[in-house]
Amino acid sequence: MSGLGASVALALLLAWVIFALAGLFLSPPIAVALGAVVGVAAVVLARDTLGVSGLIAVLAPFGVMLPALAARHMAGSLGADIPGFSSVEIAVFLLVYVVFLSTAFGVIPVDLYRYGYAPWPVGALVLAVCAYAWLTGNWFLAGVAVLGQVFWMLGWGSSNWLDHVLHVFLVPVAAVVLLLRLI
Amino acid sequence: MGLAQTGIAAMAALSVLLTLWAVWRDIPPVWRFDMPQKLAMTQGAPRAKTVFDYRVEQGQAHSPAIVMRDTGFELWWFEGSQEAQPDVDIHHAAFRRSPDGWQEISRGPRITRSALGAAMDPRQLVVTLGNTVENDTRAAGGFVTVVSVGGWAMASVADVSLDQTGPVEARKLNLSPFLNRSHLVKSPMVDFADGSHGLPAYFELGAAHGVLVRFDAQGRVRDTARMAGKNKPIQPMIVPLDAAQAVAFLRDFEPSGRLLVSRTTDGGRTWSPVVPTDLPNPSAPVAALNLGNGRILMAANDDPDGSDRLSLLASDDGGQSWRVLQVVEENGAGARYPMLRALPGGGLILTYSMGNKTGLRVRLLHGDWATA
Repeated sequence: MSGLGASVALALLLAWVIFALAGLFLSPPIAVALGAVVGVAAVVLARDTLGVSGLIAVLAPFGVMLPALAARHMAGSLGADIPGFSSVEIAVFLLVYVVFLSTAFGVIPVDLYRYGYAPWPVGALVLAVCAYAWLTGNWFLAGVAVLGQVFWMLGWGSSNWLDHVLHVFLVPVAAVVLLLRLI
Repeated sequence: MGLAQTGIAAMAALSVLLTLWAVWRDIPPVWRFDMPQKLAMTQGAPRAKTVFDYRVEQGQAHSPAIVMRDTGFELWWFEGSQEAQPDVDIHHAAFRRSPDGWQEISRGPRITRSALGAAMDPRQLVVTLGNTVENDTRAAGGFVTVVSVGGWAMASVADVSLDQTGPVEARKLNLSPFLNRSHLVKSPMVDFADGSHGLPAYFELGAAHGVLVRFDAQGRVRDTARMAGKNKPIQPMIVPLDAAQAVAFLRDFEPSGRLLVSRTTDGGRTWSPVVPTDLPNPSAPVAALNLGNGRILMAANDDPDGSDRLSLLASDDGGQSWRVLQVVEENGAGARYPMLRALPGGGLILTYSMGNKTGLRVRLLHGDWATA
């Protein structure tokens, strides 16, 4: 199932990129349809090509959050009402996430990533996310955290729960969103 | 409470159930080393016999690993036009004991980049391969340093299952939140009292550090323990001293001219800050074995004035002090990247690369190295 999950995640991300580019010229429904066709075609028909196997090698494990954000963005353009994040939330996330990555690089001598392997810390983190989501009414955030826990439990994808809810590409995504909101 | 809050509460309840299930089925790693019986030595004075001397006509062959087999042992190494180039594969030579001594029975590519990429689900691009070690948990398995983009600092460690034809299944270990990058292997696994094994690995980006990787019953990463400190400690060689204590010798990637060391007193769960030893080392990995009775045997580049003299050294105080037993290769031989393993029937295998990565040598160490 890890393989299927990675393929679905890559298809969603490719669809998102095509949707974003095509959306400059086409209406949202057509851009989403075009993205879906390209995303599915790429992982089904071109899965053994250098491009697709290279993207898998570079980006995996994809986790839940990044593909979920892609799906949320496309669904939102079609009129779905899915909660998002405020600029303050994104800025705080960016700051905390960069600090977290610094611990992984040893710049800050604490190993936070280690806690993502063990059941009790993961359970506490998911509940903390759910509590914040409950306070803000953001069911999307809670859904990602719990779905990540489901995948982690089933052994689909990474053996570290943090990989299911985080991805390095969230840094440029968050930065771009913040920038666009400032403009 | 609105619909959203109700849904979130339901998800939180599901999470609590998932957590309880996860805790119930989880088997936390046991942090107690499995101390092997005193290693069997053969009779007589310590001596070394060369059983394999391999040179490439072009390109490089480097970083040999010893893979134990029921019938003997194999040597795995990476070979290609040059280290980190997109034509490097893992090659092997197999050895079997016969009445006339050790004989090479096969040689050739063992893990190719294309076969390894195809063994992953879904297929992944593999550009080049590096240091490889045996996976002691399986009859035919190994951990391979894999690069899909960039150089060694962007490497991952792949857990590979093999049959006679090559890789049949492979997956990358989840060791880093940074695109799962910058982990490599060099030294053999460590045995634990619960029958599991730990993998010494290292992180090469930024402030580098050593890592001891523990696995769950499915072979997925379950925990890690860092060996960090000043300098840039990489390529940990872990030597258990008893059930709780072990010493890790590390190469300084920021050449200080000294071998680095870290110690644990809680079975590898935590490690002391990495510090330099008094032992000269030209930024090169070492190999070591606990022979029993407090004796550690180490193969190391130890010449303060040269870069590649390879010596066998002994310590009788847990790695605090060392004395040279034998110079295996003199300066100029280009001897690097040693690995030491014990033969089940007695004796030791020592391998290393020669001629500045252009060849490999295997020596069998006979005699009583435990009291030499």
